Amino acid sequence: MWSSRRGGPRRALARVLYPAAVGGLLLVVLFPVLWLVLFSLRTELESFRMPPRLFVAPTLQNYIDLWQSKFLRAFENSAVTASTTTVLSLLLGVPAAYALSRAGFRSERLLSLWVLATRMAPPIAFGIPFFLIYKELDLIDTRLGLVVIYLSFNLSLVIWMMRAFFDGLPRSLEEAAYLDGAGVLGAFMRVTLPLCAPGLATTAIFCFLLSWNDFFYSLILTRSDALTAPVAIVNFMNYESWEYGKISAGATLIMLPVVAFSLAVRRYLIRGLTAGAVKG
Amino acid sequence: MQARPSRRISRRQFVGGGLAAGAVLAAGRIAAAQTPRATIKMMQVSHAYSNGLNAQLSEFERKTGIKVEIDLMSFPVLNQRADLELASGSGAYDVIQMIFIRSGRWIRAGWAEPLNPFLAKDKDVDVSDFVGGAVAPFRRGETIYALPWLADSTVAGYRADILDKAGYAKPPDTFESLQDMAAKIHTRETAGFVTQDNLHWIWPNWLISYGGSFFAHAPDDLTPRFDTPEAMKTAEMFTTLLAKYSPPGGAKLNSAVVHAIMHQGKAAYYLDGFGNVQRIIDTTKTQLADRMAFANTPSGPKGHFPQLAVHGYLINRASKKKEAAWEFIRWAIGKETMLKNALEHGHMACTRSWVLNHPEVKKKFTWRGSDMPALHEAVMKRAGDGYMAFRTIPQFPPIGDRVIIALTAIASGQTSVADGMKALQKDAESLLRKEGAPMKG
Repeated sequence: MWSSRRGGPRRALARVLYPAAVGGLLLVVLFPVLWLVLFSLRTELESFRMPPRLFVAPTLQNYIDLWQSKFLRAFENSAVTASTTTVLSLLLGVPAAYALSRAGFRSERLLSLWVLATRMAPPIAFGIPFFLIYKELDLIDTRLGLVVIYLSFNLSLVIWMMRAFFDGLPRSLEEAAYLDGAGVLGAFMRVTLPLCAPGLATTAIFCFLLSWNDFFYSLILTRSDALTAPVAIVNFMNYESWEYGKISAGATLIMLPVVAFSLAVRRYLIRGLTAGAVKG
Repeated sequence: MQARPSRRISRRQFVGGGLAAGAVLAAGRIAAAQTPRATIKMMQVSHAYSNGLNAQLSEFERKTGIKVEIDLMSFPVLNQRADLELASGSGAYDVIQMIFIRSGRWIRAGWAEPLNPFLAKDKDVDVSDFVGGAVAPFRRGETIYALPWLADSTVAGYRADILDKAGYAKPPDTFESLQDMAAKIHTRETAGFVTQDNLHWIWPNWLISYGGSFFAHAPDDLTPRFDTPEAMKTAEMFTTLLAKYSPPGGAKLNSAVVHAIMHQGKAAYYLDGFGNVQRIIDTTKTQLADRMAFANTPSGPKGHFPQLAVHGYLINRASKKKEAAWEFIRWAIGKETMLKNALEHGHMACTRSWVLNHPEVKKKFTWRGSDMPALHEAVMKRAGDGYMAFRTIPQFPPIGDRVIIALTAIASGQTSVADGMKALQKDAESLLRKEGAPMKG
């Protein structure tokens, strides 16, 4: 009886409705992205034609214009600062998170709270102090300056996220490694870290995204040499009009590395997000 | 003692040495010629004028030996960066775009170098050629702090074919008749009116021509006047246009969207800056350009008060290369440079009378029988009378923001005209009091 009910018309309807609902939702969510990409492949005249035409011969002119502008330099700045920050944040933050998870010292809770200090206020609160300090240190409009700022924000993220992953890992695994003759570093590198790979991937993506999408600090701490892509795109909003073609082409290019990176670590990302959701 | 053998220089050695010395000298001269006399840095908004400067820059660099790095940015970014650079006294930029509504603050703070000593030395700049309203915002007494390259005056643009069909032989010349016309021609497909979201620049077209004002008497008495009958009446007229006869979201359409709306034929009448006219009739973006016409903005019972937004170039007080910065400004706002920018880069909102009356400029910018340069010059002359002084007080930027918020709230039906304007009045009073502004009311 039960099995016949499960295979009944309601079930059949659900089989059709659920995917349709998911597909509809996806279309709504992804439509702006699709629109953006289509916009980048059309002339402005075509983009604003009323009524719009679905099929038009695509043009790469917006990308060619972008190639000939200063945007490429900004894109390179974004790539260098975001990648460097991600690597340095992981190199410094992961051991710190491991220490906080395993060392068990008395002021560990207080220390963990202080780690979050840089994220306790909105970025604008730190903007002017950073500008004045950077002016004295001659760090304005340098990639190094941006990396240092992003590092200060990303470290707390890495420490808190990775600590949750380490906390969820049984200590007995490391103790087994010690019995087999491994030192603290050996156990960490050969046992703990590989088991936390999903967490590492998730944390890396968040670090990369935070730096890659930063607008505020790039706006106030750069001029032209270290300008990053998010601010460079805004600069296509000319006084008299906006260069929609270049804006959409630039935005499409900005999305690409993030999409590629996310696809590459998709498997780890899903596992990492799930693990992070139940631990901590 | 043995005598030292005398070292005679052979002819070959002499010629070789001479050639070598010549080569060294020549190399030195080439190097000197390639090394710039100075390198200066300038920041300004991306604009047709900056495109023109960039195109002509090599000529300036060759003539003067001064290398110029121009940082172009969007207007919101410029607002942030210019304020920060000037306030911090970094001196990283030698020349900075003087933003009209920030001029009061920047001049009061002493961030702009007075240009009079430079002007006294270089008479060829001919300040008297700048139309009155264009240089007034940057003048305090006899001191000039910036020279203008852009004067954006408000102008009305309309679809001549739609107005003709509705029985209008000419565009409305009063705000009352604009209201009637908008109601008559407005349809779901084509809005009767559209304007950009910089409402604190557009609304004063109505306000002042009905006898109202932002302040009692700027800059001496800044008692706000947002709750007067004139302010209430014009706020109601203006927000009605935005709410009932504009495309959806009428109070929040930025300039770029307004252009797109006009390009698509989704509105029949618009009120915006003169500097944008060239964009509206850009045939690479619209097929309706030949149906567009332009005219003066309407008037009110007290007269015609079109608005003007001026931008100039200032020398950063913290700059260490003021002489080179001046040489650049002198060239950038020079007659020939501005003429080239008008003819080759479509810069219509010129500030010099000589350029606006140049036969080639007249020819290029006369559109469907409208002498656009003459329209523009007339507005600049009117604005020189002093009714634009309210926009250059140091406290204007936050007051302007609040005006936009209030008018947007009224237009979107969040509040009534009376409540919205009374709240604006209170807010402005409180802000100006905190700032220590002179208020005699």
